[in-house]
Amino acid sequence: MTSRTPWKRMAALLAASTLALTACGQADNLAEDEETTAPVQTAQETETDQPPATEGDGGGEPGEATIRFAWWGSDSRHQMNQQLIDAFEAEHPNITVVPDYTDWGGYWDKLATQTAAGDTPDVMMQEERYLREYADRGILANLNDFDVDTSKIDPSILGSGEFSDGLWGIATGVNVRVMMADPEVFAAAGVEMPDDKTWTWDDYNEIMSQISANTEDGVYGAQDFGIPESVELTVWARQHGQDLWDPSGEIGFDPETMAARWQVTLDLIEAGGAPEVSQGLEINAAGPEQSLVATGRGAISPFWSNQLEAITSAAGHELQLLRYPGESQFERQGLFLKPAMALSMSASSEYPEEAALFLDWMLNSPEAGEIILSDRGLPANLDVRAHIMDQLGEADQQAAQFVEDVSADILDSANTPPRGAGEVNSLLQRINEEVLFGQITPQEGAERFIEEASAITGD
Amino acid sequence: MSVLSELGSLRKSKSLDRGPSQRHDGKWALFFLAPWFVGLVLIVAGPLLASLYLSLTDYDLLSNANFIGLENYVEMFGDRRLRKSLVVTFTYVIVSVPLQLMAALGLALLLDRGLRGLAIYRSAFYLPSLLGSSVAIAILWRQIFGADGLVNQLLAVIGIDGPGWISHPDYALGTLMVLNVWTFGSPMVIFLAGLRQIPTMYYEAASLDGASKLQQFFTITLPLLSPIIFFNLVLQVINAFQTFTQSYIVSNGTGGPVDSTLFYTLYLYQEGFGNLNMGYASAMAWLLLVIIAGMTAANFLLSKYWVFYND
Repeated sequence: MTSRTPWKRMAALLAASTLALTACGQADNLAEDEETTAPVQTAQETETDQPPATEGDGGGEPGEATIRFAWWGSDSRHQMNQQLIDAFEAEHPNITVVPDYTDWGGYWDKLATQTAAGDTPDVMMQEERYLREYADRGILANLNDFDVDTSKIDPSILGSGEFSDGLWGIATGVNVRVMMADPEVFAAAGVEMPDDKTWTWDDYNEIMSQISANTEDGVYGAQDFGIPESVELTVWARQHGQDLWDPSGEIGFDPETMAARWQVTLDLIEAGGAPEVSQGLEINAAGPEQSLVATGRGAISPFWSNQLEAITSAAGHELQLLRYPGESQFERQGLFLKPAMALSMSASSEYPEEAALFLDWMLNSPEAGEIILSDRGLPANLDVRAHIMDQLGEADQQAAQFVEDVSADILDSANTPPRGAGEVNSLLQRINEEVLFGQITPQEGAERFIEEASAITGD
Repeated sequence: MSVLSELGSLRKSKSLDRGPSQRHDGKWALFFLAPWFVGLVLIVAGPLLASLYLSLTDYDLLSNANFIGLENYVEMFGDRRLRKSLVVTFTYVIVSVPLQLMAALGLALLLDRGLRGLAIYRSAFYLPSLLGSSVAIAILWRQIFGADGLVNQLLAVIGIDGPGWISHPDYALGTLMVLNVWTFGSPMVIFLAGLRQIPTMYYEAASLDGASKLQQFFTITLPLLSPIIFFNLVLQVINAFQTFTQSYIVSNGTGGPVDSTLFYTLYLYQEGFGNLNMGYASAMAWLLLVIIAGMTAANFLLSKYWVFYND
């Protein structure tokens, strides 16, 4: 027989305990703050009997040290980095490097949580959009204070880690934004490959629409999803003599410029040259291996030059790299060398000398270069770059050659993004969707983006 | 505290019909409950209080928290995305929970007719409940409802050009609601247990008097099952408010397309970990607590009017 009390009691109990769980926060870490700011040297002295490895070269043999190296990436990168760690440990038996890795999305959650707990990895991968976020809060070490050699680093990208009177991260390599083109789709459509030094955005629209029209259903001209990533805007704004950010870290373009870029995509979708919006959204979210070019469903997909290897192997045949349209259409050229990712060090590392040694070794030693190859972009160290060139795979060599060719024409680097750039990128993603789905006009989208992005980076 | 008193009164009522010889039970009960209490204090109560404090600060995970009073709570009033996330979450709860309970009750009624191999069916239907909030199912959902997914391929067979179920802002939330309805297994099992408790003599008497099956359902089954419907409702409403995994996976953590699947908890997570506004995220957690407490209280108050206890 159903009786009143048990069910009602159970409901109340469950309600109470579930309520308690909704407010699950992060672990209590306020007490740890003092620890992280404590002098590093003391910790080191208490843990090792031997004299600590300190400034200068005359200090004798350094003691045992354990440092942690954090990165994001795929399985192949995890294996590669493990190989790297093994090679470093063989050279420096007194140093143990602990790997700490995850995928891109989880990486920033993890890094923020570890930092909150006073447990920042000694050496970590950083990215342009987050570098300031961490550096300005005193979490990263100023690499100028350590014995890290930057004399061979490509000067055009070294600057990306220099601000606020310090060097907070060193770019590991360079990338260029490219249009990856599938010659087979062009051939099937009977359309000639454009001259990428002179083609305009109007040519782009025309050629892409023609390819869609000339091929079977489900094969498109371009994978064009408006401005899902800030780089699409950076290239476009630079072509118009502007930039995403101005040198002081404020919005560097006007709303009309941004709106015009959206109009390119809207016109292209209208003309059938790109998949319709909701399909485009799925394709865009599915990653490089599922892109139109990688799956033979389109003539062109935009990517970074270091992604060519993966996309070529997914496509199963050689692809061609094209410069962005419009490089000679407006005020100036838009392409730029982008620092692929950066290596940084924790300001609270227990073994800063050892961490700096490891960081320096990864950047500058030919041995490390041979293992890393172009995984972190075309190596930033120019000697290492030359050293590994003939060891690269076919597609990587093709990408390296392209970067070389383009470099000659590149005018300057894009301005460094301000603090909050990570958040701005997700803002851009949302407004991009609203504009493409027709919920707001390009002009409204541009004005709102500028207003909200300024608010995010302003404080 | 309420938990303790509940346990205490349960124990009291039990010990009446046992003997004094079992008086030591209390100590052993506490002993066995100890791990749970330790967990409650360390894993629940500690962080709970910390988050209450953090909700009054500008904590950003990376640097020290500064006390800013009620600023976070004030900021919520002008937050367009917060409002959007509330609309999404309430729509989801109000539409999908009743549908899910109806599906659960419907199947429980079917299964209650003493089928052969009932245990197998019961397990089969219960399975989605176990899997429903898992990452694997969310990924599967993304495949099935993708633009080129199974659903659209089936639709293509009958000549319908299906939309992007998860990539179009008009359909994405609906697709996630279907996922929630599909996890009707756990309320279904509870309904089944409840149906078993209704004495068959009522039905016998009713059919002797000429009542149809439908009349029997509305006059016998529903009233006698109402405490269990109520129990399921409270539980599922609380669950639905906390939906996170499905939209996190299906939308790649964005809550898109165009924020159409921006669940409250997903937005909270984005603010806390993505935008490093942990203080604001903590304040949001407390608002959610208040909302769920309010909804649950409303449920209990309204239950007076429709829940029938056959004491």
